[in-house]
Amino acid sequence: PVSSRQAFPLPSLPRKQPTVLVVCGPAQNGAIGLVCARHLRIFDYEPTIFYPKRSPDPLYRDFTTQCEKMDIPFLSYLPTEVQLINDAYNAVVDAVLGAEAEAGEGREPCAAILATLKHVRIPIVSLDVPSGWDVEAGSSGGISPDVLVSLSAPKQCARRFLGRQHFVAGRFLPYDVQKKFELNPPKYPGTECVVAL
Amino acid sequence: DRERCRPHRAMHGPNAGSGPRGLRFLGQEEAQAIDQELFIEYKFSVDQLMELAGLSCATAIAKAYPPSSFTTSQPAVLVVCGPGNNGGDGLVCARHLKMFGYQPTVYYPKRPNKPLFEGLTTQCQKMDIPFLPEFPAEAALIDELYGLVVDAIFGFSFKGAVREPFGSILSTLERITVPIASIDIPSGWDVEKGKADGLQPDMLISLTAPKKAAMHFAGRYHFLGGRFVPAALQEKYTLNLPPYPETDCVLQLT
Repeated sequence: PVSSRQAFPLPSLPRKQPTVLVVCGPAQNGAIGLVCARHLRIFDYEPTIFYPKRSPDPLYRDFTTQCEKMDIPFLSYLPTEVQLINDAYNAVVDAVLGAEAEAGEGREPCAAILATLKHVRIPIVSLDVPSGWDVEAGSSGGISPDVLVSLSAPKQCARRFLGRQHFVAGRFLPYDVQKKFELNPPKYPGTECVVAL
Repeated sequence: DRERCRPHRAMHGPNAGSGPRGLRFLGQEEAQAIDQELFIEYKFSVDQLMELAGLSCATAIAKAYPPSSFTTSQPAVLVVCGPGNNGGDGLVCARHLKMFGYQPTVYYPKRPNKPLFEGLTTQCQKMDIPFLPEFPAEAALIDELYGLVVDAIFGFSFKGAVREPFGSILSTLERITVPIASIDIPSGWDVEKGKADGLQPDMLISLTAPKKAAMHFAGRYHFLGGRFVPAALQEKYTLNLPPYPETDCVLQLT
């Protein structure tokens, strides 16, 4: 979670206000999105969150409280007219579904959200897995993120990623885990917690 | 980066009421109040903030004392952890130092029976960070084996007398010549008044905001870490924190 924020390009944003829409799904990927939104706020971005199906997990509920107390607005609905999203925000963080998502589980309202996101013209930054993609096979006709931040290590579907930048955020994986799974991670520069692949 | 690490005279003297651009130095009660507000109002967990704090410490150390600057054959660092949250910050710091290419060793004589600290200890052990069974008997031994000591003994809640074994540990640390980096408060110092004949660290990493003791800090490097204070809280306590650079989790004050 601490690492996802660093993939965001710094103020070279087209809109006057550094607005970012963070779309959070019902499970862990969404919770990571909440943490990301909070750090974006600390970095002086103006995040807005859409979090339609809130997890009952106490840790994730606390993440929500932290965002609310930091005056990060929560949308009550996602506009279906994409031009409204294109006009209001510089980028969208896709924290809807991660590698843990299983087919058919909690798919609504995710399917509707993804249908809208498919048509936005502003860059999408996906956390771990572009939402809706099969973790291994990738996607046909799903969302096309501009930036992918692989968490821990890239998933197989990342091979099909065609966007501009692919970061991996896995610096803090213990060495024995890295060896056990033969991750062969790249070298992280300095004290950075993300590295561009 | 080289430029920022050039030695500067400490900007905060005992008579300074505030630092650069009105940066406030907190009293002990204020520091405790802010902490409580983060946990109770904002619902941060101790784990979350400790992780960010420890990461800040390791990052600051890496900026001021890069591994290439060590004269010991390996960038060996001794991390001395106290019995409370400052010790926990030290454990997190040790783990990140390992990730950053250092060779930390931990001394952790008084360990709380709480899952948080047990977890942090396990994480360090599983990363092959050794835990010394005994504190090095002499200052000269520390100077020989390590290029840096991290003081994670006492933090901003410290009050009153120093209990053993920390009294003896601090006496030894007062005699070492390798630099000491203190987390939040130089251990043994009064949190507001300092301690003229106490530990003289080369680096201080103030967490959240500097405490009044930092006005007596005379070492080379003063960093601010713990970049998690919401804007509203900063305003409420008029912290006047200078802006952190970009997405960095530390800010070099001196």
